[in-house]
Amino acid sequence: MTDASEAILPERKPPDPVTVRPPETETAGPVLLPGAGNAAIARLLQGSPSPAAIAELSQLGGNAQLARLAGPGGGSGAPPAPPVGGGGVADVRVGAHGEAVRDAQVKLSRVQASADPLTEDGRFGPLTEAAVRTFQTSVGIVPATGVLDPVTKARLDAAFAALPPPVRALLTMGSTGADVGFAQQKLNALGASPRLTVNAVFDGSMLVGVIAYEIGVLKRFPSGTIDAPMWADLDAKVKGGFVAPEGASGRNVEQDTPSGTANSLGTQVAGSSLHPVTGAGGLTQGPAVKELQQKLNTAGAAPPLVVDGVFGPKTTAALQTFQTDKVPVTGTADKATWDALDAVAPGSTVGAVERQWTEVVGGATYGMTGGNASRYSWEIQAKRMLVTVKVNFVGLAPPGAWFTHVQTAWNQYMGVEPASGKSMPVDFRMIRGAGGDAETVQVVAGTGRANAGQWYVADPNAASTIPHEFGHLIGLQDEYQLHPGDYLRATGHEPPVGDATGPGVPAATIATNLQNAMVARNSVNARAASTGAGVHEGAFAQQVVEAYAKLPTTNVPAVAASPGPPPVPFQPAVALTGDLLFDLNAALPDDKDRYATIQVFSYSSASLMGDPGREFDPHDHGAQPRHIAEFMAILGRALGGTWEAKRR
Amino acid sequence: MILRLVVTDGSQTPAVAESVEVSADGAISGWRSVSEGGVGWFAGVLPAAELAGLRDLIGSAGSAPPAAPPPPDSGQEMLELAATGPIAIAGLGSPLAVAARNLLTRLTDFPRAAVAVSHPSPTVARLSHRGTDPIRIDLTTVEWRETAWRGYYESAGDWSGVAAGPPEVTAGPGWTFDIPIVPTDAAVHLTADFTILSGSTRVPVRAKHTPALAAP
Ligand SMILES: [Zn+2]
Repeated sequence: MTDASEAILPERKPPDPVTVRPPETETAGPVLLPGAGNAAIARLLQGSPSPAAIAELSQLGGNAQLARLAGPGGGSGAPPAPPVGGGGVADVRVGAHGEAVRDAQVKLSRVQASADPLTEDGRFGPLTEAAVRTFQTSVGIVPATGVLDPVTKARLDAAFAALPPPVRALLTMGSTGADVGFAQQKLNALGASPRLTVNAVFDGSMLVGVIAYEIGVLKRFPSGTIDAPMWADLDAKVKGGFVAPEGASGRNVEQDTPSGTANSLGTQVAGSSLHPVTGAGGLTQGPAVKELQQKLNTAGAAPPLVVDGVFGPKTTAALQTFQTDKVPVTGTADKATWDALDAVAPGSTVGAVERQWTEVVGGATYGMTGGNASRYSWEIQAKRMLVTVKVNFVGLAPPGAWFTHVQTAWNQYMGVEPASGKSMPVDFRMIRGAGGDAETVQVVAGTGRANAGQWYVADPNAASTIPHEFGHLIGLQDEYQLHPGDYLRATGHEPPVGDATGPGVPAATIATNLQNAMVARNSVNARAASTGAGVHEGAFAQQVVEAYAKLPTTNVPAVAASPGPPPVPFQPAVALTGDLLFDLNAALPDDKDRYATIQVFSYSSASLMGDPGREFDPHDHGAQPRHIAEFMAILGRALGGTWEAKRR
Repeated sequence: MILRLVVTDGSQTPAVAESVEVSADGAISGWRSVSEGGVGWFAGVLPAAELAGLRDLIGSAGSAPPAAPPPPDSGQEMLELAATGPIAIAGLGSPLAVAARNLLTRLTDFPRAAVAVSHPSPTVARLSHRGTDPIRIDLTTVEWRETAWRGYYESAGDWSGVAAGPPEVTAGPGWTFDIPIVPTDAAVHLTADFTILSGSTRVPVRAKHTPALAAP
């Protein structure tokens, strides 16, 4: 076991002497406090803080931000619930699965018993078994059985607990390096407002956040520094935010910093309903009608409707009665009717969703809207929740294996309600069918890159492709090439710090080179200016994003199609916006160089909805609990309580 | 030019970069980078009836497509018509959009200077020249993948490897290059990735052999 903290923390520039910069009037970015705050900080940092200065800052902080900071810790800092089935003393061996296995995988990797970092999938396979055996040998447990028995588990827990905490640097105004980025992550996770860009530069906006935290949370005289006590506080409240070697190979893995509550669904189209239109002109049978009937009963339909999923005269009459005096009496459940019904009858044990949504990936907007909306239904049965996606496959017949791939990838979780101890597996299935509650997927010949609406019959990677596209069919957005805010929302992780130091070329120079490449429509130059110059994903790349946003914008004229090779289509005129991802996407041709350039200035997860081919993250691999959060909420509305997704 | 379609997708390796253009006289031409029917240049003339059908579709197409975002994970498809100018059609299923995409496949019936991959015997993936004109290629690194199927796309094995050939070859009519692969009695699909040289430009390409399997 090596303490790799020295090796893995990038070289840090010595902190600049503390200086107070004047407000930057030419930038729109949230860099410094408003004038009053600057003056207060200036007085503070000049060494003789007066009570007035502190009062000034306190006043400044006496707002929602401080209230949040000072309030009881958010969910992200809370210790995780005990793993289901993990509290007992039973042996855990090959073939076992669940949270207890996942917990062991986390620890085996960190104590470097596994050969390489284990994929934390909660499945006890040969790699996990080998790691247990290696661990047993290393601590003298004989025989090394590869079984996680109670003795081995206790030793593993002890070894994990004995791992040294990350060595933290003292941070002050002007500091740079990975620890600055980790501190930014943690301040964000604890509610810093406005959020700090995870750029690994201790600048004026970070100083504001630090001082606010000192006053509001640490209740101490502000020093403008993150010292050992503040680090201890941040590390105790927010997990992750450091780099650790994992596996015997000592591969350095950045530990995710949880932040807020993930919402992995695409952005719902404003004004759209999550309910399909039900009744005449919409769906007249199936789960949507059952949901309507249940909710009309909850709302007081008399006599109660038989919940048979058939929209007949009695359902029509009950619906019209409900609509009377609330919404136009149409006999069809439209958005207004469903809104009114949901208000009085939020829960049901069966239902249908029609989700209109968009996403921004790589600076371009995609979506499933109108006739291509995500459509799925769910039913809470006696012993499980079943989520069904009905797909109208057109073109070729879908291979049978696709249906299995969906279940293998997605049927990994159960809902657990800790207060009552109730649990319920959540099963997903894809079935063939047609009608207004089905989604259409074109099945085309040969191979190629699938999209949400077109799958390739001979896709050799169908085991991963089909579950990813299935995720879109249940409304999940992509988790690759995202802006930082979208990455945070979709994953519930702070944007990774990644490369904090960069290649030694000023960020502003790289930004200018990128803009020149865009004006010339030259993706080769853009790539040369970024990845070619040694820019990698992470904090330094975000410095470039910020520097780019400060450049004067310009227009790029239209360019006619060129036959190539490789061919380039007509490119319309572009008014650059200052948002680097949008501009790279709009100004450069859709080729490998553009893709690689956008990759380093954006964020991608390694989950099933992300980009496992390009991103390495054993902690965030495959389907994740966040991906089924919508169904946890549905369980709560139907059965009461607060449900959580746990590996089963 | 009465129609031009350019399909691009830089998220794939090799990048998708395909084009087809049809002239008023029925001349069809274009370039394929990732293709079942060979990669390289293609040119020919559409039969009169086919051209007339295409003209009808173009004539009946509306001026602008519905404003819907393309589906997640889709590449870019830019369709240019003389009447409408360029339109992004990714995700659209209109008859003209479908016909335009089909033209990319139709194009490969008119090879001019192209290379395709085939499966002439159980142990061979064969690159061969198609068309009348020579094409320069770099075979230093030929990455191949063999996927075996039984029944209706039931996986029966997957192999890949790298074959090495000369750094620059001018392939003309009759030229072939054999790559040893793993024999199997299942149906075989192949891909071969290499580089086409055009002037000083190097274009990574993928030739594919993916014969259809009968549905159950
Ligand atoms: Zn996707």
